Amino acid sequence: MTGEVLTDDPKLTLDDLCETCGVSEVTIRAYVAEGVIEVNGDDAGRWRFSEITLVRVQKAYRLQRDLRLNAAGAALALELMSQIEALNDQLERLKRIRE
Amino acid sequence: MEYKDYYSLLGVEKTATQEDIKRSYRKLARKYHPDLNKGADAEAKFKEIGEANEVLSDPEKRAAYDQLGDAHQPGQDFQSPPNWDAGFEFSGSPSRGRSEEEAYSEFFEGLFGQAYQQQRADRARARFNAKGQDHHAKVLINLEDSFTGAKQTIVLKVPELTPDGHLVVRERKLEVSIPKGVKQGQLIRLKGQGAPGLGDGGAGDLYLEIALNPHPLYRTDGVDLYLDLPVKPWEAALGGRVKVPTPGGVVDVKVPAGSKQGSKLRLKGRGLPAKPSGDMYVELQIALPPADSTRAKELYESMARDLDFDPREKLIREIQSREQDHSNA
Repeated sequence: MTGEVLTDDPKLTLDDLCETCGVSEVTIRAYVAEGVIEVNGDDAGRWRFSEITLVRVQKAYRLQRDLRLNAAGAALALELMSQIEALNDQLERLKRIRE
Repeated sequence: MEYKDYYSLLGVEKTATQEDIKRSYRKLARKYHPDLNKGADAEAKFKEIGEANEVLSDPEKRAAYDQLGDAHQPGQDFQSPPNWDAGFEFSGSPSRGRSEEEAYSEFFEGLFGQAYQQQRADRARARFNAKGQDHHAKVLINLEDSFTGAKQTIVLKVPELTPDGHLVVRERKLEVSIPKGVKQGQLIRLKGQGAPGLGDGGAGDLYLEIALNPHPLYRTDGVDLYLDLPVKPWEAALGGRVKVPTPGGVVDVKVPAGSKQGSKLRLKGRGLPAKPSGDMYVELQIALPPADSTRAKELYESMARDLDFDPREKLIREIQSREQDHSNA
């Protein structure tokens, strides 16, 4: 079975994104406003999203739903999570160098 | 089925107020949320506390649960007494956010399941259409797999609902092609391989996240590779040609004269395949030959005599100038 590797080409419309993630347009607009996801294009009708954003939207939505966060809270959580991930990678790397 | 102590799962006393329960649940939910906690049992724990909260945060269910009494121990075999819930009215619906495919424990199903099974049946009759949930899984691959592309068999555990409302966990095996040049953290989408939809809703998708096993030689940074390469002191000082392992085979590399400890050499296009391909960075690590023979000792002694070399010169100067500043102040 062959899957597709998600790329960062902006090719998804707002409708595509809502449908694939199962979230409402309001949610996506809030994520754009909070900078959870990057967008190409000026007005919502011409917005284009990359496939990488799919995963960010889903993660933000899970956090929002399960932990009762608002969009700003989810944005902050994602930001801190990626910082922690980067630090953990660095830590692993340094540990292995020391060995 | 096993008895579950919902109070101890949430870390609260039996006398806790609804406010205490809410607070404790929220704290634990943040701690064990599978997106935040990468621990192996975080997801199971998150579900467990969700279930405990489902019961204890609802006064009706809590009261029903409480009257089971103190006689039970967690993990103990448990049968719900006949008509145990007589006189209690359950108005709740399955909790927000928990989709039908997600499993409650047998204990929970035994106590509160019936009402929900009825709702499931109602819903099925209503020909409700919805796209199935997306699933996520991590795939561990070796660096070599990314370099050449590979096929990998992954095993997914999928909870499924039988027509009569029982939950079973099925194993699903998928053979997936790992495309050439995938990077750490990259995502592969398999359309329609997630949970089945309801009614006419299509199946969800399966997302595979690529994780690279640590390689004994190479570190990765995106498509670039890093290698620590031990070199002889004279190769670094005088320059020379050395053999360097790359995932594509051993290549001959020129070390420039006067290279230092930690100097980096770039081998263009020798990283992971991509458009354009990544590079490989070789970091020189100068290795010292052991002074384990008379001849080796002689060579070290002659260097000590003949070379004007003091690697600590700068350090001494630095500390002296600081002492000077300090006494002037």
